Amino acid sequence: MIPDAKGDSPIHRVPPGAKLLALFALSVLLFTLTSPVALSWLSGAIVAATLLCCRAALVQWLKAWPLLLTIAALGIWTVFARGPEAATIVLLRLGSLSLFATVVTVTTSVGQFIDTITRIAHPLERLGIANARDIGLAIGLVIRFVPEIRARYRNVVDAHRARGLKLRPSTIIVPMVISTILCADEIANAIDARNIRGTPSKRN
Amino acid sequence: MDIVFDQAEATFDRRVVLKPLSLRLTERRIGIIGLNGSGKSTFARLINGLLLPSAGRVVTNGHDTATHAAQARAAVGYIFQNPASQIVLPLVREDIALGLQSRRLAKADADRAVAGALERVGIAHLLERRAHELSGGEVQLAALAAVLATSPDIVIMDEPTNQLDLRNRNLIEQTIHALDENVIVVSHDLALVSGFPRVLLFHEGTLAHDGPAEETIDRYLKLAA
Repeated sequence: MIPDAKGDSPIHRVPPGAKLLALFALSVLLFTLTSPVALSWLSGAIVAATLLCCRAALVQWLKAWPLLLTIAALGIWTVFARGPEAATIVLLRLGSLSLFATVVTVTTSVGQFIDTITRIAHPLERLGIANARDIGLAIGLVIRFVPEIRARYRNVVDAHRARGLKLRPSTIIVPMVISTILCADEIANAIDARNIRGTPSKRN
Repeated sequence: MDIVFDQAEATFDRRVVLKPLSLRLTERRIGIIGLNGSGKSTFARLINGLLLPSAGRVVTNGHDTATHAAQARAAVGYIFQNPASQIVLPLVREDIALGLQSRRLAKADADRAVAGALERVGIAHLLERRAHELSGGEVQLAALAAVLATSPDIVIMDEPTNQLDLRNRNLIEQTIHALDENVIVVSHDLALVSGFPRVLLFHEGTLAHDGPAEETIDRYLKLAA
């Protein structure tokens, strides 16, 4: 779900702040509605709007199989715990929300996210609680590194295959964590070197 | 360019990686060579204050890197061994613009600076490309454009031709020669620094030789033999 922002759909032209506000409003609405019928209508409208305005988002959403698998697992668990109607509600809520979130991320560039979040966080800076630019940069970097971590996972899996090793969670997680920490260190150095934050240097 | 090392020393985990060193760098093109682990990159990182000396001081263009880190860094653009790691945002345009944000330029001025930087290194056509789709040479040039956009006085390039094919290597060499800025190149590529007026040779954390390219390279070849 890495932002593309290269398209020219009507949603691409909506200001990022408005899109984030709409996402927030939709999440409130989805969790306020309790009728499966009303939720079905709303979900149908979101799918139809996505198909009409931003098919790329639908494709990205379908590609995000770990997320869809998690939602499906939650749905199955809810069937046994609370019955099929509750499961339908869970599936419709999480499915619609994740699809709309995908629309927002696909149609908003990381730079726009950083600018918008920095603007939203400015009151916190005025109160002396946090640096708005740091908050924007941190959230932007999280979005930017989703495909990076996915690529690292593929590298680790390929390395296992090349060496004829069996895939085990422990042998996948450890190298991924180490390489991600090293990558984070490189990025921190780059941010320092480019004077993006104006932070103090390291004295070893 | 005026870089002064005054008994500057660097340690890492209590191990001395660069022994106390005093020198002054003013030449427009400076090469840094040496075996792996000789202290080359440490020396380069001290110049822009990315690393601070554990003893002594480093003054870059009049700014002590310990007390005026932001000013020292503003004077120096640094390109890492793996330039892909310093591209923070996915789109080339956005990434270059990110480095300009602290200047609070108007959008039109920032856009002009981004386009101008890309044009200077001959990759204006990559403006809207994703960084991870670029070739090795293009990534190196995009990182250089991001640095040039901030108008540094000095550009430090750490192993700029590392892992590049011959065409991209030659392209980087031509680009370096064409730059108006002062350039410091850390490299194992001896041909790249062969025309430089001053080349420093590091060995086991000390400056083993300091002189014109031909002389220093000759010394390095004997040392590595």
